[in-house]
This record gives sequence, C-alpha cells and structure tokens, in this order.
Amino acid sequence: MRRLLTALALAIVGAVMLAGLAGLPRPGDPAAPVHTHVAAHIVAHGVEDTGSRNLVTAVLLAYRAYDTFGEVVVIFAALAAVMVVLAPAAAPPPGKTAPPPSPAPAVAPSPVVGFVIRLLAPFIAAFAALVLWHGEALPGGGFQAGVILGALLVLLSVVMGRGLEQPLVPAAAARWLQAAGPLAFAAAMLIGLAGAGAVLGLPAEPAWGRHAVLLLLELGIGLGGAAIILGLYLQMRGH
Amino acid sequence: MDGGWQHLDYFAFVALFCIGLYVVLAKSNLVKKLLGLNIMETSVFAFIVTSGMVDGGTAPVVGPGIDAPFASPLPHALILTGIVVAVSITALALALIVEIKRQCGTIEADELKGAE
Repeated sequence: MRRLLTALALAIVGAVMLAGLAGLPRPGDPAAPVHTHVAAHIVAHGVEDTGSRNLVTAVLLAYRAYDTFGEVVVIFAALAAVMVVLAPAAAPPPGKTAPPPSPAPAVAPSPVVGFVIRLLAPFIAAFAALVLWHGEALPGGGFQAGVILGALLVLLSVVMGRGLEQPLVPAAAARWLQAAGPLAFAAAMLIGLAGAGAVLGLPAEPAWGRHAVLLLLELGIGLGGAAIILGLYLQMRGH
Repeated sequence: MDGGWQHLDYFAFVALFCIGLYVVLAKSNLVKKLLGLNIMETSVFAFIVTSGMVDGGTAPVVGPGIDAPFASPLPHALILTGIVVAVSITALALALIVEIKRQCGTIEADELKGAE
C-alpha cells in the first residue's frame, strides 16, 4: 500500500515537472528570458555600478546585498539553533531507557593522514586566501573561501584531536568570528549610510572605497563561514 | 518543441529530483530522509544554474580580452544563497536527529511512531 502511494506520488510529481519543462526555452538559448531582462543590465553596467569584475559578486554584494545579508543571518541562526538543541544540559530524563551515550572512541588518524594534512594545511589556507582576495576579479568569493577554510579547520581539528574542550580557535575569539558575517554587514550598512546615503549603498567618491566595502563583506562572510562550519562540527562531535 | 531532445539536461534534473523524493518517502531512517532531501536540493540547484547557461558563454567575469557572451550571473547568485540555506537546514536537521537519538534511542521513523 505504502509502496503504491509512493509510486503514485513520484509519478504525479514527475509528470507535472516534465509538463512544465516542455514550455521552457532550451538550455543555452541566448534569447531566453533569463538572459534578456535584469541579467542584460547587470552584464552591461555591473562593472561601472559596483567596481567588481566578477558579476556574480556584483549581484551578491551590491545588487542583492539584502538577500546576502539574510543568508548570512540564516547560517548564523543555524549555528545558534544547533548549539541550543545540542546543549550539554539536555541530558536524557532518568525515566527513559535511552542507552548511555558511548564515549566517542579516540580514533587516532594514521600518521600518514596526519602528516599529509599538516603538510597541505598552509597550501589550503593560501588557496582560501586567494579565493577570497580575488573574489571580485576571478571566480570565487567569501562563501567559497569560507568553505575551504572551514574544511581546513575541521581537518586540523580531526588530526590534532581537538574537541569542544580544547577547540582549535579560542572560545572568546570564536564567538566574534562566528558573528563576523552579520557584523561585517552592519559595518557596511553604516558605511553605506554615511558614504552613499543608502543602507548597503556603495560609496562613490574614493575609488578604493567600493573595493574596501566589498572586501570587508567578503572577509566577514569568509571568516564567519569558516568559524560557523568549525562550530557546527565541534557541536556535532561533542556527542 | 523539437521532440524534447533539447531539454535532455532538464530531464536529468527531474530524474534526480524524483530519486531524492523517493528516498524521502520510502526510507524510514531519518538520516536517509535527510540525504534524500539533499539530493532534491541538488537537483534544483543544478536545474537553475543550467538555466543561466548560454551557447558558447563563459563565466560572468569581465576582464580584458574576454568578450564572449556571459552566462547569466543572476542564477549563480541565487543558488549561492540556496546552497547556504541548504547547509543550514542540513546542520539543524542533523542536530535534531542527534537529539532524537539521545531522547528516544532510535532514528527510525516507524519505531518513533510507536515509541511515543
């Protein structure tokens, strides 16, 4: 019965989606609406409007900066929610017959793995910095750099056996780093209000001002993203 | 319109979406359900990014000597937002699953129904 319902649901969803696809322009069609309205304007004016040669960055941090602000708050809120859900105080009530949580086995990674990760760490960090720094001129940006850096921090935490008790980043600094994204956006909002007369506007007068604001946002997103990924990992690992 | 062959890329995403939906519906393990959800999200991301592609186009990075048609930057930026939200959902769902395991001792949806 359940299998029948599942198959029925799949068939209906698939049929509806296929029917919808039939009305779409073929992928790669230069005359498709996705290329002709806002995108055409952004491609034509994006560089002079924002000073960023990477148009994806221009959309992300200038045209749709509010959107990105919400995105940064979402991932910050996710970390906060995970911390609340996995708070150590939430011990199982005594009545339940939940098995006691087995202590995490102290898995020592093999020396080869540890050595290779330690050897590669500086290069991974340098790559993350390149992706972040060139986010406005090459494919890349704050989120990508944050993910690379966060993965590196998680790897190093595994190799060095650092848990919640001895985190890689000191707890006091980690608090501020985890909030770096929203904080950077708050600063950019104030700068925009003072320099351009609009929240999240880009100041026009000094030529480097726009680059500075974009770089500030990228730095906040990157460092904040890395700290949040590390925080999520540590929270999960603590149990 | 040409027999649908030009939409072949899109069909792949429909198939991927249906695979993810099947996992969500048919599997009882909560972690597997979460994986199915991620498969569905991935298919949507790939679909929207593909819609921004253009014949002979390059990445939307303007520079000296780059004159080709650019892929539409809007889908890329939108999907970047979507990926971040997907990561947040996954993290929160995993945390909830850990807590469910701790409270109820199981992560099978069938057994959870009988447990309470």
